[in-house]
Amino acid sequence: MTLTKRLLGASAVALLAATGALAQDVAREDTVIFDLDRTIKDPSNFNWFTPGTKRMHGAHQAMWEPLFILNYGTGELDPWLATGFEANDDSTEFTISLREGVEWSDGAAFTADDVTFTVNMALTNEEISSREAATIRAQVASVEKIDDLTVKFTLNNPNPRFMVENFGVRIFGSFLIMPEHIWNGQDPATFAFSSPIGTGPYTLTSAATNRAIWDRNDDWWGAKTGFMDLPEPLRLIWLESGGEESRAQLMATNQLDAAQNVSVGTFEAIRAQNSNVTAWYDDFPYAAADPCARQLEINTTVAPWDNANLRRAVAMIIDRTQIANVAAEGATVPSRTMFAEYGSMAPFIDAVVEAGLDLPARGDMEAGKAMIEAEGWSMNGDGVYEKDGEELAVKIHVNSASTEYTRTIDVIVEQLNRAGIKASSVPVENGVFWGEVLPFGAYEMSYSWLSCGSVNEPWASMGRYTVKDVVPVGERSPGFNNTARWDGPEAEAYSEIVDGMANLPLGDEAIPGMVAEAYQHLDAGMPFIPLVQSFKLLPMNETYWTGWPSNDNYYNHPFFWWNHTHQIIHNLEKAG
Amino acid sequence: MAEYSTDDNTAEATHKMTRAERRQARRMRRFDNPWNNPKLFWGAGLLLGIIALGILGRLFWDLELVFTGSGMLKLPPIGFENLRGQEGTLANPLGTDGAGRDILALIIIGAPNSLFVGLLASLIGMSAGIMLGFTAGFVGGRTDDVIRVLSDVMITIPPLLILVVFQASFGDVSLTMMALLIAGFVWQSPTRLIRAQVLSMRESGYVQMARLSGASTFHIMFKEMLPNLVPYLFGSFIANVTTSIVTAVGLEVLGLGPQRIPTLGRTIYEAINAGALIQNLWWWWGIPTILLAVMFIGLLLINLGLDEVSNPRLRKLS
Repeated sequence: MTLTKRLLGASAVALLAATGALAQDVAREDTVIFDLDRTIKDPSNFNWFTPGTKRMHGAHQAMWEPLFILNYGTGELDPWLATGFEANDDSTEFTISLREGVEWSDGAAFTADDVTFTVNMALTNEEISSREAATIRAQVASVEKIDDLTVKFTLNNPNPRFMVENFGVRIFGSFLIMPEHIWNGQDPATFAFSSPIGTGPYTLTSAATNRAIWDRNDDWWGAKTGFMDLPEPLRLIWLESGGEESRAQLMATNQLDAAQNVSVGTFEAIRAQNSNVTAWYDDFPYAAADPCARQLEINTTVAPWDNANLRRAVAMIIDRTQIANVAAEGATVPSRTMFAEYGSMAPFIDAVVEAGLDLPARGDMEAGKAMIEAEGWSMNGDGVYEKDGEELAVKIHVNSASTEYTRTIDVIVEQLNRAGIKASSVPVENGVFWGEVLPFGAYEMSYSWLSCGSVNEPWASMGRYTVKDVVPVGERSPGFNNTARWDGPEAEAYSEIVDGMANLPLGDEAIPGMVAEAYQHLDAGMPFIPLVQSFKLLPMNETYWTGWPSNDNYYNHPFFWWNHTHQIIHNLEKAG
Repeated sequence: MAEYSTDDNTAEATHKMTRAERRQARRMRRFDNPWNNPKLFWGAGLLLGIIALGILGRLFWDLELVFTGSGMLKLPPIGFENLRGQEGTLANPLGTDGAGRDILALIIIGAPNSLFVGLLASLIGMSAGIMLGFTAGFVGGRTDDVIRVLSDVMITIPPLLILVVFQASFGDVSLTMMALLIAGFVWQSPTRLIRAQVLSMRESGYVQMARLSGASTFHIMFKEMLPNLVPYLFGSFIANVTTSIVTAVGLEVLGLGPQRIPTLGRTIYEAINAGALIQNLWWWWGIPTILLAVMFIGLLLINLGLDEVSNPRLRKLS
């Protein structure tokens, strides 16, 4: 697999050289090259409602713009295609005002019709599966156009988080509005949208399995209306670099401007060769805190891991400090709860800690073993637990796209084996991992961050494990929610509290208490095991472009595969 | 004759020999024992060295260090410094890898493992090859057709391609399993070669004689003909070991080998994957590479030596 990637990477560079020679119109210093950590399986398909790499190869960073962008620095929603919104008192009706003068890249006007059309498409087509569409379907009762620039949403239940959750790029993406004049009459489950258009300042030039190229549209509406100047880069490229080594080499030799996550050692080595390479912090640990804390996913329907006490034993055995030290080379910290250790999350983390439900930073192997033995397992001659002739074994599926993932699982496999659980890892390609393994429950345990969601309130994360999202193994979990398929009395008690929390306004005083109460059931059921916080060490190259986000230049976070990357691109300035 | 005298005092003491005579004598001595071959010795020595490393290492080194997180990360070998300015320590004389595994422990377990896979795969492959080759060559007819076509077809299939698919679908495999899979792809060329040898040998006088005297097919194949093929079989065996190790290492470097069992190939895979080249962690990929090189040179020397044993024309005169 890695070899294939390496070859792809090499051919990508060759291809780039070739296209550069053919096009010859865009110089390197006018081009920004972003790193892509996955293969574009179906490069001519831009239907983002369907699974696959349809957005993060530039489509939602350069072509499709969001209505708002959550600013991680200020906590505010920065308006983009919309100018603002109003909610009624109980947060069941939201009225959005759209910006005037927004145009699709083919010249057609972007209006409230596009918004209502796209939302209705999500509401009426059960088979479209993207997370954002599934969320809209679950929350929205109806949508109506008030006038060309005003849209009103009516919700099924009160939801004070409606805007940030669906249209604010809170995590990764947002519900993207599609042009009605192109999508009208198409089947949204199958339409390929192979000549995509958007409202963004770039249009698609070409896409292949290993790269996508976008060129600036000098006729962009934002420059005409005075919303913003045209961004400086003439061309944007998302290039599949293929692994840490080639990523590092490309970065060191200025053939990449922003790279995906690398280890601390690799970053220091890149910097030793190329002093123009920067990261979020100037010094160790260099990395920016990512809101998606890492966890061990468990499929709670597969024996023997359908036994909550065994899952709790595993949680006890795992030594989180060792994971932080070995897999992250000290650049992260153990998780205490399921939440990201953001200052804005502190009241909820504190509530869990006060209830005594936080996880230990160090593993307690003896306690874990005692819990396994209490379930009737005994150690056999090979040092593996056995019951009724069956060994206590687990296969852990791990995405092979990053050293962080594989090495964390190596550490966990080691820890479990030492405790008498015959664990082994199953490395899977990125696309297969997200497309086939996780959503369909085709795993026993796995490494991911599916409770990710909360950045300033607890519901977004906690609401992902309620019983209403339980589907049988083999069916797609709605929006990757409750892929653990956690069900039963504990899960029901948990869901009831969490559902109650959903209707409360943000900042309600009852929420921390409810978090602690719900967390008791979560701790007893242990449908997933929080591991460590996530830190992303993203090397950014200042040889050709400056203005990259950093702790000193905090206009927003640096995760350039998210929908907010529009802000990064507008902030880039030519170096020298 | 004085100008022809050498430092060979004994020869001078007994009787004066001409240069040609001495050369003849040396040549005859060499013919006395063709196994007395320096290439063979050197090759065997290198391989035994690796086996000794495995045995002595198991006696004198803490093999628990081979597991993830057992030491500090990325320590260099003694006498070197890594990019962070840390110096090598006695606790990890050959350094550690990016996950804190001791490189010395890794090679103590990994190097014999690689050799083991090669030997086992080759042994199984050769046994099958010998059986099939003899059967095809000696029995002939339909049997020959079937075996010949089968091995001809198999020879055109690139083993690595098939094995990659196999291993990927098996997930985690054991060393023995991997050896068995590889054995499935190393029997065909010995089969073909042995068949050819047997075909020509079948017509020779002593085989005809054995047949006339009523010896059984089995007897003729394995008692009369096989001993004549031994040096040749050895050479073929060693060549097969090399192929098997190359295949196994190829799979491991792609990350498809066994996971928790250290092998040289997997160590290289992990080094490449974790950016060891740019971080200048040369000991991580370099030491396993050197060991593989030693292993292949050893096998090559043995192969050359065996060639000389079985083919007197190759034995050089001094």
